[in-house]
Amino acid sequence: MAKFHPSIDLLTEYAAGNLPLAQSACVAAHLNYCESCQRTAVQLQEAGSALFGALDPVPVGDSVLDSVLARLDEDAPLSYAQAPEADQTEVGRTPAILQRLMKGDFSELVWRKVTESLRISYLKTGDPGYEFALYHIKAGGKIPDHDHRGSEMTLVLQGGFSDANGSYHEGDFIYRAANDTHAPTALQSEDCICLAVLDAPLKFTNWKYRWMNPFLQLRAG
Amino acid sequence: QAPTGRRTDEWSECLTLIAANEDRAAFTRLFRHFAPLIKAFALSGSSLSAAHADELVQEVMLKVWQKAAAFNPEKAAASTWVYTIARNCRTDMFRRLQKFDTPLAAEDFTPEQEGEEPFAVLQSRRSGDRIRDLMDQLPSDQAQILAKVYMEGKSHAEAAGELDLPLGTVKSRVRLAIQKLQVHMEKQ
Ligand SMILES: [Zn+2]
Ligand SMILES: [Zn+2]
Repeated sequence: MAKFHPSIDLLTEYAAGNLPLAQSACVAAHLNYCESCQRTAVQLQEAGSALFGALDPVPVGDSVLDSVLARLDEDAPLSYAQAPEADQTEVGRTPAILQRLMKGDFSELVWRKVTESLRISYLKTGDPGYEFALYHIKAGGKIPDHDHRGSEMTLVLQGGFSDANGSYHEGDFIYRAANDTHAPTALQSEDCICLAVLDAPLKFTNWKYRWMNPFLQLRAG
Repeated sequence: QAPTGRRTDEWSECLTLIAANEDRAAFTRLFRHFAPLIKAFALSGSSLSAAHADELVQEVMLKVWQKAAAFNPEKAAASTWVYTIARNCRTDMFRRLQKFDTPLAAEDFTPEQEGEEPFAVLQSRRSGDRIRDLMDQLPSDQAQILAKVYMEGKSHAEAAGELDLPLGTVKSRVRLAIQKLQVHMEKQ
């Protein structure tokens, strides 16, 4: 059961359909682990539905109805099969929205080595404003101290990590605003995989890694 | 109300008829009710042209026809189900107009709802009804801001700009409104 959740502000923007694509995917992936936020999102959607029902109707010409009726033959109502049994493999536990972007399991991705304990794999969401990447941190490994020139959303997919503010496990969602410095360290027990959504590149603050900053360009899209 | 909690309003019946017999008369009734709301939704915030608004009406109503069998009257009101399709189609249309090259469609962002037990289903239906009632009682400044966020599709930051209010004020108004709707929240 996740302990760290998106704020009500984020969930409202998510439910209204207003979050940028990449951030929305990260929130959706959290819901996969969190029944509580799922319920909240459904209720927030009901709020949208109530506002929708109260809109002043705008007349629609009969020609629109006619052209829809004409297209109904091409599109017979679909029937729906029962959802398949829950899949307990690694791929099955990965949120559906990530599975769509990954087309395979974690080992089939291209991982770029950043430091001895950190590898990054960039996924393509099509959102030009945000980088959407998986971080693989070796058990006990540390991500060098860094701050964010923009916002950072993180979702733990496997294992866990800790920083000065707490320790995070599978399904936990963390949002950090710009200029928050931290140094996440993976838990000792197992490797950690998390999803990070950024709108500006990381900036390493430790002198040992500062030389890398010019190479850390945002890989959005 | 039947103890199963089954909804028997007119629009759910129309959807059931479509799923069962491809009933065009029922579809036409649904269209006459929902199409003008979908058009109003498309035009709120004047983000889409009238031509795009009509296109959106067509897309949404075709989806309603195709997906009628997936509608479960025990879980949600028909109007919520149609609204969700409209919201997703509008988001997809925006992304198409902005030429996003993405493998994801807006409906991929709504995870399959779990919690099928009757108690959870009944609770979620009740909270839907309660939210609709409470919405009418919101003070106008809070109702206005929710309309901007949900109907006009404005981010909190955009809403702040348009209403000439600080971002913090917009956020707290939205939060206050959501609180008054008694939306259940996990502690932050
Ligand atoms: Zn949650
Ligand atoms: Zn960070």
